[in-house]
Amino acid sequence: MSARTLRITLIVLTVIGIGLATYLTYIHYANVKPLCGKGGGSCLKVQTSQYSKLAGVPVALIGLIGYIAILGTLLAPDEERWRFATVALTLGGFGFSVYLTGREVFTLEEICEYCVGSAVLMTVLLGLSTWRFLRGDQPPAEPAGIEGGPAEAGEKPPAPARA
Amino acid sequence: MPEVDEEDLTRKQRREQAREQRKAAEAAATADATRRRRLTQLGGVVVVVVVAIVVILIATGGGGGRTKVPEKHEQNAIANEVNARLEGIPQSGRTIGSPSAPVTMQYFGDLECPICKKFSDKSGALPALIAGPVKDGKLRIEYMNLQTATRNPETFKTQQKAAMAAGPQKKQWNYIELFYNEQGEEDTEYVNEAYLQGLAKQIPGLNLSKWQSERSNPTFESELQTDAQLANNSGLTGTPSFLIGHSGGQLKSYEWSSLTDPKPFEEQIEKAAKE
Repeated sequence: MSARTLRITLIVLTVIGIGLATYLTYIHYANVKPLCGKGGGSCLKVQTSQYSKLAGVPVALIGLIGYIAILGTLLAPDEERWRFATVALTLGGFGFSVYLTGREVFTLEEICEYCVGSAVLMTVLLGLSTWRFLRGDQPPAEPAGIEGGPAEAGEKPPAPARA
Repeated sequence: MPEVDEEDLTRKQRREQAREQRKAAEAAATADATRRRRLTQLGGVVVVVVVAIVVILIATGGGGGRTKVPEKHEQNAIANEVNARLEGIPQSGRTIGSPSAPVTMQYFGDLECPICKKFSDKSGALPALIAGPVKDGKLRIEYMNLQTATRNPETFKTQQKAAMAAGPQKKQWNYIELFYNEQGEEDTEYVNEAYLQGLAKQIPGLNLSKWQSERSNPTFESELQTDAQLANNSGLTGTPSFLIGHSGGQLKSYEWSSLTDPKPFEEQIEKAAKE
């Protein structure tokens, strides 16, 4: 997978996450019934439980802020520090998702499909962003018949030796 | 001399080879160092995240002992507001509203249900319905018992019966609304005898000794079972759930969309009145 494709994939997944978190934040503040299992009861129970807030801030809103921050790092120049910021944020988001899913399964014994969806999304984001960070810069793909592609910002690995 | 040239060439080739090997080794070492640095950075973030989760778990965990019910002065303000809200509205057992109201709404609730609290809150739809169609004689609301949020079935029975015991004195809705408005945090085991007695003491005009003796009324047990059976037959699994219809007729399940906006309820009530 090229660096560009990987970055676009991450952006698309993050935008989906923003959509999910926006919906959950809206439900929290509007007191409307979410469209999910048990006629919306499961999500409502999770959304109105004591664990739906952290220090008075709805976790859905924390998630939304997190996704927006991740999107910000993905839209920033493709440099090592931003790739690190992406992986650090997704790692934080993943840890938070693990905690919330644990609360759902073991404490509340209810599952909110949107929360699980967000947790799965965050897991995929973590996997892809870790891969992106560890592999570093990739030489740009060379279009067939043309020597040298468009240069990308950031560090470059040593040019491959030519025969 | 051809032999010397060949020797020179071989030496050159060896030097070139050695240089390339050295470059390759340097590149590999650099790549290895970069990879190790990145892994160390990731490790650092993992440690920070783990520590943060542990802190959150400690801060939000347990639950035992943390009841978070309103303070005494807050309780007084809530009690004044709730009792004033219900003043002058006819009550009969579990029913609030005129017995001749054309529309009946059965409200299935669990007193520990935090979602029901949103419905009963000052900003919820219920106070608006009580001040509107109930007060106007268009609607009567029957409170039905359905265990959802309360973990312990015995606690559920005890708390629901405590509310039912205020029914013969036409104060059951005062008890219900006080319970919801002073609700503690879910799963914190805040419901105990002191809490239940405390609610009863906040209801003006409630004879406490009569209420206390009424709590052991054996008919309450069967009412709880009947309510649960009705909910089951109507396909209701969560709280709050509602059945609305023309009084005396078949009540239909009402899928609520908002617990704070009374308009969708009022529209459904108007519809039922015309049936």
